[in-house]
Amino acid sequence: MSEELRVSPIETRGVAGKKRYAMVVDTRRCIGCMACQVACKAEYDTPLGVNRTWVPYKVVGTYPVVKKQFLPRLCNHCDDPPCVRNCPVDATYKVEDGGFVLQRYERCIGCRSCMAACPYNARFMLPSHRTYTPITNVVDKCTFCFHRVTQNMVPACVQTCVGRSRVFGDINDPSSEVSYLVARNATQVLRPEEGTKPHVFYIGADRNQTEFGRDAYRKPEVMDLDRAAFRRHFNI
Amino acid sequence: MGDYTWFHDVSWHASYAIYFFVIGICAGLAFLSYGSWLTPALRPLREKAAWGSLALLAIGGLLLIADLSQPLRFLNALNPFYLTFTSPLAWGALNIVALGIASVLYVLALRKGEGSEGDGQGRGKLLATITALLALGLPIYTGYDLTAHQSRPVWNTPIMPVLFVALAIASGTAVGSLLAGANEAARKVLHQYLLWSTAAVGVILVSILGTTNYGGSASELTFLILTTGTMGLIFVGIGILVGTAAPVALLLAPFGRQQTGLMLAAVLVLLGSAALRYALLMGPQHLQTLY
Repeated sequence: MSEELRVSPIETRGVAGKKRYAMVVDTRRCIGCMACQVACKAEYDTPLGVNRTWVPYKVVGTYPVVKKQFLPRLCNHCDDPPCVRNCPVDATYKVEDGGFVLQRYERCIGCRSCMAACPYNARFMLPSHRTYTPITNVVDKCTFCFHRVTQNMVPACVQTCVGRSRVFGDINDPSSEVSYLVARNATQVLRPEEGTKPHVFYIGADRNQTEFGRDAYRKPEVMDLDRAAFRRHFNI
Repeated sequence: MGDYTWFHDVSWHASYAIYFFVIGICAGLAFLSYGSWLTPALRPLREKAAWGSLALLAIGGLLLIADLSQPLRFLNALNPFYLTFTSPLAWGALNIVALGIASVLYVLALRKGEGSEGDGQGRGKLLATITALLALGLPIYTGYDLTAHQSRPVWNTPIMPVLFVALAIASGTAVGSLLAGANEAARKVLHQYLLWSTAAVGVILVSILGTTNYGGSASELTFLILTTGTMGLIFVGIGILVGTAAPVALLLAPFGRQQTGLMLAAVLVLLGSAALRYALLMGPQHLQTLY
């Protein structure tokens, strides 16, 4: 789908006078140190078991020709976000100037419709007990560090990325680094067929991780224990 | 070192399938109560079906509220300043409230004797019509609730609301068949309703399985999840074979026209429709948890 194609009035990519923040993840530079995941946890006190950003990896190839492929993941802050239109109470909304997809915790009823709508599994339910904050039992997600970006800082994960794998900026600004990277490199987004127009662009992402792999159904021995524990826990 | 896969929770758990099941029967009973105004043979079911529908609507509403992680905020879904009409859930919330009001008025009208043929018939019939139309909204909204999720195979098919309507008619008629007991005239009508609605469910399931099996990789994998292992036992075994094919075969046989046969078919349809709702809700979420 063409990046310039705009079909919904909610989309702000390429709209003059408006910011449209985006992230470029150069997977060639990711070393899998998980510092982004830790920085995010520290920034938001994200509880155990849930993450705003996470870095899954997959070992591809057959020994001795093997490589560990990383794919840092987070909310894609879609230009046409399905979570926003599926929320019955407008608890999820898109900031017009900037394109942040945010959550109103005090309004969320916890119907999990947004979680079902998100093709990227970027949303999660906060547990009922937390140590430092009373925000519980509502849906949460990555905010592109809205509070930092509005203070002219970059998101915590970008700030901490040791390999400069993550780059953040205004893609509507032709002189920004993200605009440069998107223009000069072959990039891809996750699940473009869903029409969500994600704004996390990957350079060098491996198709073993961006597509639904056969592993999802096949049962490699290494995943059996995890899979069984997960099924037991969620009773599925 | 193995892969590091981050497992995600499913969005909607099995309690949502129970809600689907309950409100499906609720809608089906509302149809039957309305049907009694058009088909004299169903007249003995009018009050029973109306009360049953109202009771199940109350149970379904409570289940839905209990399923929220912030149950006390359910009123937000009715707040005109918050309502987002692009969400099927917003329409569903309004539909449930409107149906609740209409059902109460209908039941009150029946209590006042307006359910009988005579002077008050016009009002009773009008309320039955309104109740049935609003009840039709329940399976449509729940089906659309799934359809609206563009990234989920099986859910994101236009036929899902139609399937839920067919399931509601089948499961409502199944409960009606159990309520009808030995009434032969009602049994004949219910036999036809149950046969055709269950057959319709079967046809829709076949078309869903076809499009899922020949879809993209996500659809194909969802097909595998739905047709093998435990989910296969629930979906194909209980949902399709025991709960759809077997009752249709039973209803086509002479035994299916007898009271015992119809009741047996009704129980199988109820079992199958519960299994189908569970599998259709959980199966397509399964793959997504691994992405």
